[in-house]
Amino acid sequence: MDFSWTDEQRELFDAVQRFAAEQLTSNVIENDREGRFDHDGWKKCGEFGIQGLPTPPEFGGLGADPLTTVGALERLGYACKDNGLIFSINAHLWTVVMPLITAGTPEQKKRFLPGLSNGTIIGANAMSEPNHGSDAFHLTTSARRDGSKYVLNGSKIWVTNGPVADVMAVYATVDKSKGPRGVTGFLVEKNTPGMVIARGIEKMGLRTSPMAEVYFQDCEIPVENRLGEEGGGSFLFSRSMTWERGCILANAVGSMRRLLEICIRYANTRKQSGQSIGKFQQVAGKIVDMKLRLESARHMLYHGAWVRTQGKAGFLEAAMAKLHISDCWVKSCEDAIQIHGGAGYTVEYEIERELRDSIGSRLYSGTSEIQRNLIASLLGL
Amino acid sequence: MRILVPFKRVPDPASGASGSQFIVNPFDEIAIEEALRIRERGEASEIVGVTIGGPAAEEQIRSALAMGIDRAIRVDDSRPLDPFAVSRILQALVTREKPGLVLMGKQAVDDDANQTGQMLAGLLDWPQATFASKIELIAGGREIRCVRETDRGLETLELGLPAVITADLRLNEPRYVSLPGLMKARKKPIELLTLAALGVQPSPRTTVVSTFAAPRRTGGVKLQSVEELVDRLRNVEKLF
Repeated sequence: MDFSWTDEQRELFDAVQRFAAEQLTSNVIENDREGRFDHDGWKKCGEFGIQGLPTPPEFGGLGADPLTTVGALERLGYACKDNGLIFSINAHLWTVVMPLITAGTPEQKKRFLPGLSNGTIIGANAMSEPNHGSDAFHLTTSARRDGSKYVLNGSKIWVTNGPVADVMAVYATVDKSKGPRGVTGFLVEKNTPGMVIARGIEKMGLRTSPMAEVYFQDCEIPVENRLGEEGGGSFLFSRSMTWERGCILANAVGSMRRLLEICIRYANTRKQSGQSIGKFQQVAGKIVDMKLRLESARHMLYHGAWVRTQGKAGFLEAAMAKLHISDCWVKSCEDAIQIHGGAGYTVEYEIERELRDSIGSRLYSGTSEIQRNLIASLLGL
Repeated sequence: MRILVPFKRVPDPASGASGSQFIVNPFDEIAIEEALRIRERGEASEIVGVTIGGPAAEEQIRSALAMGIDRAIRVDDSRPLDPFAVSRILQALVTREKPGLVLMGKQAVDDDANQTGQMLAGLLDWPQATFASKIELIAGGREIRCVRETDRGLETLELGLPAVITADLRLNEPRYVSLPGLMKARKKPIELLTLAALGVQPSPRTTVVSTFAAPRRTGGVKLQSVEELVDRLRNVEKLF
């Protein structure tokens, strides 16, 4: 087995880390408190090329393979503490950019991909409904074909980037009796009459990533904005979820590395009873556990990405990576707080935020329970 | 039109006295940015970057290529050169590359000499505009209008091309290198030239005797009266 990166990949990862450290310097404590999205950071990431990582070069992207992409995102997570901004970028990449790359028409690609890849337009994804979350494919939002357009009716919830999105990938059914085979994807642009971005949803963590409810009332979408085939939405969404599960926690691995380094530094400098607290076995043991979680999470992340780089779907690997990394992230955040004692509980130390940010990872892109169901079914259960 | 942009590898002022990190001289970076903008406006067809130095300078060459210059030349000479020696090498390069414009930083932040652009223009007998804060091509690209920052205010010059222009701080804000730029840079050509191939053998006319960090400034003293100040200047500092 060869675990080495190429010179090119190393140069790219170093550049990402340098960029994040030098350019993404907004006040995350304040933005988190106010629930404020870092528009400027988004723009800078776009100009630098983060949103264009998987986009083919003819549309202004880098055309990076999955392995290179997650490597870059790990470094972004390591050097940028704004998990919400990265979460917004992830949602945009895996549920809008990626489906467009794989299923968009040449016209749709030409129209949307350059802007989505350079930071000038923001994408969002509307799938979950008030009564259909994990049970995603039995959705009730309907799309009625009417000549050269579709008419959308229904409501969507948990729409990440909803309040700031320029274009939204919306899933609706053209025929409810067909179940998952009726689900169809649409690209709905900002200010389309009949689409209402209802309200911002306030969250426990990832507060710098805006989220909304969205309603459709006789919202007319031209046929050329249909994403993929009629009834092809379930497959499209499943595929984008596989991408998302496999990549969305790359930054979590970066965050775990950052937390580990912070904890080692603290354990070596904080003295109690005449010695560094790192000399106490209970503290050292926690740090060892954090290291083990970091490395096992990283291996699952990269193995899954490697499988996809080989051109395979990697459903099982993506589900396992998502389940494992999210769990590791939350536990390592808890350990980091415990190691810091009372200081870790304060806002100033920026670890409590990390814990709040991490908890969502057990819920989005399919809860941990759904990942276990997926893995179980792929094991023949 | 071809633009030649000479740039220098210098210690990163941000890395402190250790000088362990090196960067493209910030004023040269501004010159590169301006050349890119001229090309993006369709007023130049090619940007050639050149630096003089050892293999370590390839790091800065890659940075310049990643910003967007088309190709780069490294003149292989790792001796410490003075501005006149550099100007003579650049003169030979101008003869070889035939640029319509040489655009470079007003000075390098390591020695702050602020002489190379002027000397090069003198050797070439080309018009020059130093400390440029705004430049635009006029007369169908045959001339260039340049606003320069002088001690007496802004001066606007119109120069016939070819010319040498040196960039000041406010000319522009250089772009941040993008990931696609960085990856494209790996495929761009870097040509290695020896002084013999260029047909010049300049010897530095100045030598660096020693270098040292500037003495740390100590806190000032608050004086009570003008009389006390005059007394101090005369008897303690012995200024007059």
